[in-house]
Amino acid sequence: MANDQAGAEARTDVPFIELKGITHQYGPILALNNVDFKVHRAEIVGLVGDNGAGKSTLIKILSGVLHPTGGEIFIEGKKKIFDSARDAMQCGMETIYQDMNLIDVMDIMRNIFFGREETYPLGFLKIKSMKKKAMDILEKEITIEGIRSPKQLVGNLSGGQKQAVAIARAMFFKNQVLLLDEPTSALSVRETQAFLDHITKLRSEGLSVVIVTHNLYHAYQVADRFVILSHGEKIEDTLRADTDAEELTRVIVGCK
Amino acid sequence: MAESVLRRESAGDVFRRMRRGNSGNIVLLFIIVQLVAIAAAIIFPEDFRYLSMGNIQLMLKAIPSLVIIVIGVNLLMIAGEFDLSVGAIFTLTALVMAKLFNAGIPLWTSVLAGLACGVLMGLINGFIVVKSNVPSFIVTLGAMWFWRGIILIISSSITESFYPSDFFTKLFTVNVGPVQVQFIWALAIAVIGWLILDRHSLGNYFLGIGGNRKAAAALGIDTRKIKVVAFCITGFLTAIAGIMSTVRINSISPIQGQGLELQAIAACVIGGTLLNGGKGTILGAFLGAALMYTIQDVLLLLRAPGHYLQMFVGIVIVIAAVLNEAMRKE
Repeated sequence: MANDQAGAEARTDVPFIELKGITHQYGPILALNNVDFKVHRAEIVGLVGDNGAGKSTLIKILSGVLHPTGGEIFIEGKKKIFDSARDAMQCGMETIYQDMNLIDVMDIMRNIFFGREETYPLGFLKIKSMKKKAMDILEKEITIEGIRSPKQLVGNLSGGQKQAVAIARAMFFKNQVLLLDEPTSALSVRETQAFLDHITKLRSEGLSVVIVTHNLYHAYQVADRFVILSHGEKIEDTLRADTDAEELTRVIVGCK
Repeated sequence: MAESVLRRESAGDVFRRMRRGNSGNIVLLFIIVQLVAIAAAIIFPEDFRYLSMGNIQLMLKAIPSLVIIVIGVNLLMIAGEFDLSVGAIFTLTALVMAKLFNAGIPLWTSVLAGLACGVLMGLINGFIVVKSNVPSFIVTLGAMWFWRGIILIISSSITESFYPSDFFTKLFTVNVGPVQVQFIWALAIAVIGWLILDRHSLGNYFLGIGGNRKAAAALGIDTRKIKVVAFCITGFLTAIAGIMSTVRINSISPIQGQGLELQAIAACVIGGTLLNGGKGTILGAFLGAALMYTIQDVLLLLRAPGHYLQMFVGIVIVIAAVLNEAMRKE
């Protein structure tokens, strides 16, 4: 896997997004405790850790779905408050969730453009244009067997096909930071490889990626840096060059 | 690399999509019922006057009020909510208009006040539902009783007459060919409803929120705002129906509109709208409403006692709901 851009040294430029002292409490449960987290431009960060470590909570905060009970968010050094998913999107966040957030009763085209429809001045949909673009995305960005038309209902697709639609949607809108929560869990081996290649390609286009995964080997293939969470705390923040998959596993398992 | 695996949809795809969209079934059912009724009318022209001009005109006069309410209720149900207070909204908005007009307020001001009342009542329903997270079924059940009480207070339980200007009356009662103009208004509102649901981002949000509220929220939609909008549209359309009906019969009685809420939900369900939202079509809801009146009319022509209609509609609505559920699982 080409990893030529990955600096062997820690980057000192202003991060694209930086979280400082993020704390989140679900009732009595402390899901995140004073976590610092940053992502530079054109950097792939592997966010790893055992179940319940706080990875999903962190992703939800980055994507604006969850409002942290403590801490601050900075975009290119400027303090921001994400009140909603829309705020986060406008700041450049694009998320693919574990449950993919697709609407089963709608077709692929409407799912891809949901919330960001192309419209005429009065809010009427540009169906033809969106359909054509959806066709293009499905043909070029992500090819997957069994998807024949952007008019297919998402509810009738398989898990892998659904994930491909979710990925295609994220790829199409090409925001600054792609947040991926367990993106490869429903993909076949071949689909996974194509997906990981795609992520590397996105980095070469200047995009940043945060990838949450249980599969360290997948993360290790693409990530430039690893952040390990355990019981809501950050226990490791290491460059790819300074570690390997075995060591990462040891840290995650060892800290239990 | 990959050859294009995408292809244009075939006629079969379109048909399957129609069935999935659920309007295919209701269209089929509607056509069958019509064909049977027409065949019976041709075979027994004296005993079964389904095709007589009088009967057709009567049916086309009866349908518009319900259809207009059903368009609103359908959009709301697609967004995943109910409004059991539409019957009360129907009566109260018409009553407000008639009372104001009879008190000497200019006609158009009275009409606008009636429409504004409908929007306001929808707004209140929507606001309580999204703020409290109490199911809309309960909130609007409460609203129904509350507004029914208000109706009795301000009407003193007396029917209010309403004789507006000639122009205004004609606007809703003049005949265009064999049909009263109300039917054309209902058609126009149905087309607007279709444009909103199928061709506008708002309808896209109704479908998305009803289909998967969490996903819609995560994709940046303010689901509460959209739901409140759906309640307001329902209130507005119900007010239009109330006003049109009042112009047609020149009065509004405090007990009018009772049961409309359930008829409207029944029409939507018969038309293929899912009870938990995310699925439904305007065509289906329109035909669902029309079908209910067709059945009513046929039973009347057969001189069947009124309670047969209730039994029949009861059976049809349960069958429709069972079929919808089965198709959803498929």
